[in-house]
Amino acid sequence: MSHDRILTFAFMEPPFESERTITFFRLLDAALDRDVDVRVFAYEGAVALAFAHQQPHGNAMHGRDSGEEAHPLTKDWIRALQEKAKAKRIGFEWINCGLCVDERGVNDVIDGCGRGGPPDLWRYASEARNTLTIGTR
Amino acid sequence: MNVLQVIDQAYRTTTEEQDDTILWLTRSMRGAGGDLTVLLSGHAVHYAVLRRRQPALTLGQWRQTQPAELPRDIAELVASGVPVYAVQEDLEERGLGQLPLQGGVRPIARHALPGLYEQVDQVWQW
Amino acid sequence: MSKYLFIQSQDPFTESRARHQFELIGQLHEAGHDVSVLLVQNGVTPARRGARGEGLDQLLNREVSIYADVFSLEQRELDESDLKDRIIVSGLHIIIDAMLARGKVIWH
Repeated sequence: MSHDRILTFAFMEPPFESERTITFFRLLDAALDRDVDVRVFAYEGAVALAFAHQQPHGNAMHGRDSGEEAHPLTKDWIRALQEKAKAKRIGFEWINCGLCVDERGVNDVIDGCGRGGPPDLWRYASEARNTLTIGTR
Repeated sequence: MNVLQVIDQAYRTTTEEQDDTILWLTRSMRGAGGDLTVLLSGHAVHYAVLRRRQPALTLGQWRQTQPAELPRDIAELVASGVPVYAVQEDLEERGLGQLPLQGGVRPIARHALPGLYEQVDQVWQW
Repeated sequence: MSKYLFIQSQDPFTESRARHQFELIGQLHEAGHDVSVLLVQNGVTPARRGARGEGLDQLLNREVSIYADVFSLEQRELDESDLKDRIIVSGLHIIIDAMLARGKVIWH
């Protein structure tokens, strides 16, 4: 993959808190549509996006059990993007800030999501065509 | 590649992280060879005029022993060669315009921001 | 001349910083740069015809290119016909294209 087709994204929002999370995932999907090699640095709360123990639940107020509710989980969205990238034979790398993982206890993440630190963000950015950061509030 | 780190918030998690997470990120990337500039804007301009360590949190018998040292973090960032700017009008809006800036922090007028944005290759807004 | 794309998620109704963000975008445009804005999330709310959004209106009057994210519009039941003149409905692919073109792409 040429560096001209690598884009890096840094993201800070935890799951189930912000509309930014939806925009962020849609953005990754749009990048894959453009055959872009995606690199993600998840910082602070965003490290929980890949937490393997996220569980779907039913919702009595919706009148649906767990299967019917099919509750969205960010780990499944990551997996869907990983599979889309694989099918298109383009890269999709994901690094969680390790210290951010430790302090939140979300060490058990889905396959394909690694552990690193700010030097990895700088490396990702240096190797990429461009980088976008999306902070939190 | 030179990156402008725009820090627009302050005190968001300074107590529990014992630093500002973006200042920390910037210092760490600088240590990895990053060519970085910092712009303190919005509430983050407070960091430019702080003099003391953050207060220690006490909850029941639990007492924090290592609260954030933001003036030290800013000073070490400056000492490492990272230019640090604070938006003058944001200081003035908050009644901080007459306070001395921490050593090495440079005031910048809002009308000069396009020039600063043009000096760098990328702008990372946090 | 540089190319800028601002992703405007903050809106002027709840975020006082939005006013300064619109000012900065206008300054960069006035300085001769190629500046575009994509409104996303609640950032699309001042795009509705009749909405009071002075900062956005000034950018429209200056003929800054303004786009609005289709998904954010659909969530708020906004059609293109509901939008102020010169606002273009778009997907997020314009962010990817701007990044690939080495534009300065900045999240507000």
